[in-house]
Amino acid sequence: VAGSNRTGAGGNDVQWCFSQVKGAIDDDVAEADIISTVEFNHSGELLATGDKGGRVVIFQQETENKCQPLSRSEYNVYSTFQSHEPEFDYLKSLEIEEKINKIRWLPQKNAAQFLLSTNDKTIKLWKISERDKRPEGYNLKEEDGRYRDSTTITTLRVPVFRPMDLMVEASPRRIFANAHTYHINSISVNSDNETYLSADDLRINLWHLEITDRSFNIVDIKPANMEDLTEVITAAEFHPHQCNTFVYSSSKGTIRLCDMRASALCDRHSKLFEEPEDPSNRSFFSEIISSISDVKFSHSGRYMMTRDYLSVKIWDLNMENRPVETYQVHEYLRSKLCSLYENDCIFDKFECCWNGNDSVVMTGSYNNFFRMLDRSQRRDVTLEASRESSKPRQVLKPRRVCAGGKRKKDEISVDSLDFNKKILHTAWHPQENIIAVATTNNLYIFQEKVN
Amino acid sequence: MRRNSAVRASMCRLDVESAVKEVGQSIGDVLSSPRYVLGRGVKRKLVDCEDPVPDLPYPLQRQLVMDLCLDKLQSCHRRSEPSLHRSVLLANTLRQLQQEMRQEGGGLSPTLAAACPAHAAPATPRHTPDLPPVPSDCVLAEEALPSLTSCHDLIFGSFEITNSTSYLTDLAPDDIFDDIDTSMYDPSDFSVLAFPSLRVGSGAPSTNGEEGLKTFSSCSPSSALQHRLSDLNDLDQIMEILVRS
Repeated sequence: VAGSNRTGAGGNDVQWCFSQVKGAIDDDVAEADIISTVEFNHSGELLATGDKGGRVVIFQQETENKCQPLSRSEYNVYSTFQSHEPEFDYLKSLEIEEKINKIRWLPQKNAAQFLLSTNDKTIKLWKISERDKRPEGYNLKEEDGRYRDSTTITTLRVPVFRPMDLMVEASPRRIFANAHTYHINSISVNSDNETYLSADDLRINLWHLEITDRSFNIVDIKPANMEDLTEVITAAEFHPHQCNTFVYSSSKGTIRLCDMRASALCDRHSKLFEEPEDPSNRSFFSEIISSISDVKFSHSGRYMMTRDYLSVKIWDLNMENRPVETYQVHEYLRSKLCSLYENDCIFDKFECCWNGNDSVVMTGSYNNFFRMLDRSQRRDVTLEASRESSKPRQVLKPRRVCAGGKRKKDEISVDSLDFNKKILHTAWHPQENIIAVATTNNLYIFQEKVN
Repeated sequence: MRRNSAVRASMCRLDVESAVKEVGQSIGDVLSSPRYVLGRGVKRKLVDCEDPVPDLPYPLQRQLVMDLCLDKLQSCHRRSEPSLHRSVLLANTLRQLQQEMRQEGGGLSPTLAAACPAHAAPATPRHTPDLPPVPSDCVLAEEALPSLTSCHDLIFGSFEITNSTSYLTDLAPDDIFDDIDTSMYDPSDFSVLAFPSLRVGSGAPSTNGEEGLKTFSSCSPSSALQHRLSDLNDLDQIMEILVRS
């Protein structure tokens, strides 16, 4: 009864409240500030964003009241660094963008944190470490570093560590370069914590985290004759528990599951996931909208989720011929595909994510809307990340889009949607109901309402 | 040396006035919105009525989509963020439409189909005579269709990120000098220069010991040149000579 009036989705009638927004408040968007990737680390304590300017900003969750698990915790800037710089391909007269395409955290092994960040061409392993002590009392140096005149040294002392203001340092530990001819779209750390894969449009490479001068090519779909090219790789991910298994999705709406034990070059898939097209929905754009923009395994490893232009599909790894669940993200756009094709929005690549217990999935849409799809309760809700709903702890109201006919109060008509405001990147805290939603240049953090 | 920072090279052809809707947004709001910085345009909305496509007869719909497809394929290189994924999808769509048209318009003269397959439709009695006019870029369309062979290399071949120095050794010597305009260099003028034996095109290699600079004739496309090309310093010096003169 308590939940009967609530329309929130997110498992057990979660209501979402605004928590924080990061980024410039004014409407003047600098291109470098456009957020291009968002990722929580394995504990959820750290939240990393990458932007078009090649920078990584890491936020840390402040848990001041650890004894109150549901206390409002804030994410504050922990570290900012320039991960990638623009490069220039002189022969093609093309700039290699510094935009960070993906960030993936390594599981924490010691006091330092490690993450992989990648642009189109180069992957880098960054170490983020804290320094809160510094040595003082050197014999040969002054505190500012100048060397002392050795004739003035008459006594000997042992340097000691003294506390200092916390300094967070990011340093590049490995640079994995020159292994990709095409643009890198995915990286995925293996469950063995030793290897990771990187995927571009036509190839997937396997790396060892310690070795930068070599990588193994494990998938190659480049045809001998480029004229025959009809399909590209759009995303790839390792299985969360089986270190020999990975999947990759394609622009034709298929997902291939590969087993690295089968052969060195995994050109032959172990499983091919594909749903036959619904003939009643056939249009000029059928192939374009079937292109998968993201693939994510569930935390359990039993399912995987794919995102294409109009829908989210949940697949059982044991069933290849169709998904077990399909959710429409914004079906009202189906009749607008030609316009979306004309303005290029049809090529937008939306990501998707699971919540901690795999009961709810989330993905973005236009007009700064994002969708929460509750698998267990078979409910879905549309929420909006906007400045207007940014008062502290303000509960998000569900939004409704009117596809046609009479528009009810509080509904927004399809023709009024702003297609420049797109939410492509979202992330869900691995354990708690805290989500990070990236609009063009702002990062919104929403939390479950705490009574 | 950054390219145009606009996210999209081509704006959708929308009417600004009709784009403003009643949902509490004034035109002033729209004009000052971040979209002006990003996309050089106003709030991007769909055409203010229903998608126009369903109102057109199917062949015209197909024609519209095909024209858009060609447009986009041609502008691939002008985009600030070229995408192989996008190009492949466009090429597939185009191919699919062509196949469809070919199947429907069976009985087309092959020459007509080859010349301008995008507008092969007018030739068959099934289609209405007043179709959209042949676009001025039909020549390129011809190149891009029907087999998309040459276009593929153009489109797909350019997405590779190359290692610049090794690429040079693989290139044929001609290609390097394709963009150097040598038309203004009359060989007879070269006598006033420090390198009297300069000549465009192949010629007997003549020595010039001045500062160890190679003569221009040594840059003629010949097989003996291949190893020289890998020495970028020579190329730089040659360019300096040309620019100075």
